[in-house]
Amino acid sequence: MRLKISLFFITVVVLIATGSVSFAEQSSKEILQNADRARGNLDGVKWIVQIVSHEDSRVQERVLEVQAKGYDFLAILADPAKVKGQKLLMKDRNMWFMKPGLRKPVPISPRQKLIGGAAYGDIAATNYAGDYDATVLPDETVAGESCYVFDLKAAHKRTTYDRIIYWVSKQRLVGIKAEFFTVSGKLFKKAVFEYKNKIMIDNNPNPFISKMIISDALLSENVTIMTFSQSRLETITDGIFDLNLLMMR
Amino acid sequence: MAHCRLTRILLLFFCLILSCGFSHAEPLIAQTEPLHNEESHYDPVDISPGISDHFHVLFKTLTFATTQKASDSKLNPDNTFLQIPRYTIEGELRPDFSLNFDSFQLSAKPRVNVAWKRWEDSPKDGEDNINDDWYVNEWLASLRFFNRLYLSYGRENLQWGPSYLLSPSNPFFRDNGQSNPKREVPGMDFGRLVWIINPHWTVSAIANTDEGRQEFANGFDPTYALKLDFTGYKKYFSLIGSKREGNQERLGAFAGWTASDAIMLYTEGSIGKSSNALYPEQDLSSPFGIAMTEKKKNDNSFEKSLLVGISYTLEMGPTFTVEYLYNSFGYDDQENTLYYQLQQRASAFLTSPPPLGAVSREALGQCTDPGLRFLRQNYLMAQYLHSHIHNKLNLTFRYIHNLDDHGGQFIPIAELDIGDHFQLFFVGSMNIGSKDTEFKRFIDHYAMLGLEYTF
Repeated sequence: MRLKISLFFITVVVLIATGSVSFAEQSSKEILQNADRARGNLDGVKWIVQIVSHEDSRVQERVLEVQAKGYDFLAILADPAKVKGQKLLMKDRNMWFMKPGLRKPVPISPRQKLIGGAAYGDIAATNYAGDYDATVLPDETVAGESCYVFDLKAAHKRTTYDRIIYWVSKQRLVGIKAEFFTVSGKLFKKAVFEYKNKIMIDNNPNPFISKMIISDALLSENVTIMTFSQSRLETITDGIFDLNLLMMR
Repeated sequence: MAHCRLTRILLLFFCLILSCGFSHAEPLIAQTEPLHNEESHYDPVDISPGISDHFHVLFKTLTFATTQKASDSKLNPDNTFLQIPRYTIEGELRPDFSLNFDSFQLSAKPRVNVAWKRWEDSPKDGEDNINDDWYVNEWLASLRFFNRLYLSYGRENLQWGPSYLLSPSNPFFRDNGQSNPKREVPGMDFGRLVWIINPHWTVSAIANTDEGRQEFANGFDPTYALKLDFTGYKKYFSLIGSKREGNQERLGAFAGWTASDAIMLYTEGSIGKSSNALYPEQDLSSPFGIAMTEKKKNDNSFEKSLLVGISYTLEMGPTFTVEYLYNSFGYDDQENTLYYQLQQRASAFLTSPPPLGAVSREALGQCTDPGLRFLRQNYLMAQYLHSHIHNKLNLTFRYIHNLDDHGGQFIPIAELDIGDHFQLFFVGSMNIGSKDTEFKRFIDHYAMLGLEYTF
């Protein structure tokens, strides 16, 4: 009889524990989904991204017209004039670069940086809720704002980063700070986010990313500022990312 | 003549009107509403509502001078046959216009080239002339159906494949434009139907209906191709089956794999049973005892071309690339010997009166362009590429070694950005080897220095 009672209590404790864990996961996921909503859309986003990169006391500026869907994007360089019309296509983590006039798309490795200190994945939408396994860390205050803190570990190999510590504002439910780590666990860059744009979702105005400021963890004077404007959430057709059609554009 | 002049005036007028219209474009109304965006000082190129919303223009002008020294080769002794100019100065207007709607697209790339040429070391020694050339290098009309089907027709420079040296999988173009990025590859006329089956698979039916601005010494034949493309995680491959009218079928393929952030591996090739290239053969009916013939046109043995490549990008920026090409379409040692013997014998009668002089010129013309991208069978290419050095300099150094005749070609390319609109560029070519080597047949060395301005 005592054994049966013990088993009953153990079962109840296990059920409560697993229930509370799944509740915690669900709420983390919801928080991250809310934060993701302010940084793009998996079905597709179009935006103008201005990238100003300060590296080793040199300033590089690029303006890209970006169409992104999931992990894929097509970026057409629009400014300065000397790079106008150059195209950068990422599809399934394969990358091609094309110059106007040359016409032949050249495959490039992810290490071939063309847009300053930003990672190529930074110009596409984010899906931290789906791409990363989240562990909840103790809450913190960032710039006077109370935040949830998540330790995000890549759930699959397609992610841009292996591990991220992500601060999400409790009040606004947007990501306001992130730290990015290498596979070996070394911090290599930090970012802060601004949401001075707004976008209509279900007829309601929602805050939307306007700026991402990325700084090098080792050389703090190396800073890349990405400014997002003219953002539109819309379904992007697969043809946008097809290499055969890239030459037509 | 009057019609031609009118066409030119209309073309120029069209270019100027459009370029003026776009340079005074109004900014596009934002979809997001920035609350504060004072640091963004980019004015989008799009313009006020209406059809002009969909217009885009890119206008480049190039001015460049070239100097080249013709080789004193068997093919072109004392530059008598090819009469390659020693110096040229060229100006080129390159406007690109496009009208893009959701499911319909029109584009045109009219060009104006004005060239001054001066000859030395040839029968034209001391002469010079000026020519202007007005043409449309590319244009295209395309339609999209059901989000997955694209139909297009136009004049295109249709390039694909990962390799630098050449693209053996491409049955249409011999030149992939990599040897001189400042020269545009002349377009040809294509009809294309592209079906995107899903995000990973695409099928294209391609018909090359006209030579367009390309020139084929042995005549143009329409070519048809079916292309299957796959793109997966960090890898891609394509298969291209093609058929040139009057020739047998050919199968081409290319594939690439991003092995890591720094390393890419790739391959490209083709296999086919016939070739309409010209090969030297003993021929007693020829006054030179050797003739160029299409001996592989009805050949049933398989000819193949296979290129393998690897590139490695250093953390600090430069990318090193090595490619090896095996090209069984090229001449073997015996054919190579006959090839140069024919040139030697034919060039001895170059200035003879007809009919021998004419036969000599015909033979040398065939030797100049036998229809092969590379003459021999084994090549090695090494390349150093470093872009955005101090945010303003791009450098490429490429060396191609012919493993059969031990000749080589060194190609340096430098591009220096001056401000946001100007770029100073240099493209060179230094050919290494004896007179009987492939790269030394035409040019000993070549240098192009120019300035590009982008509006």
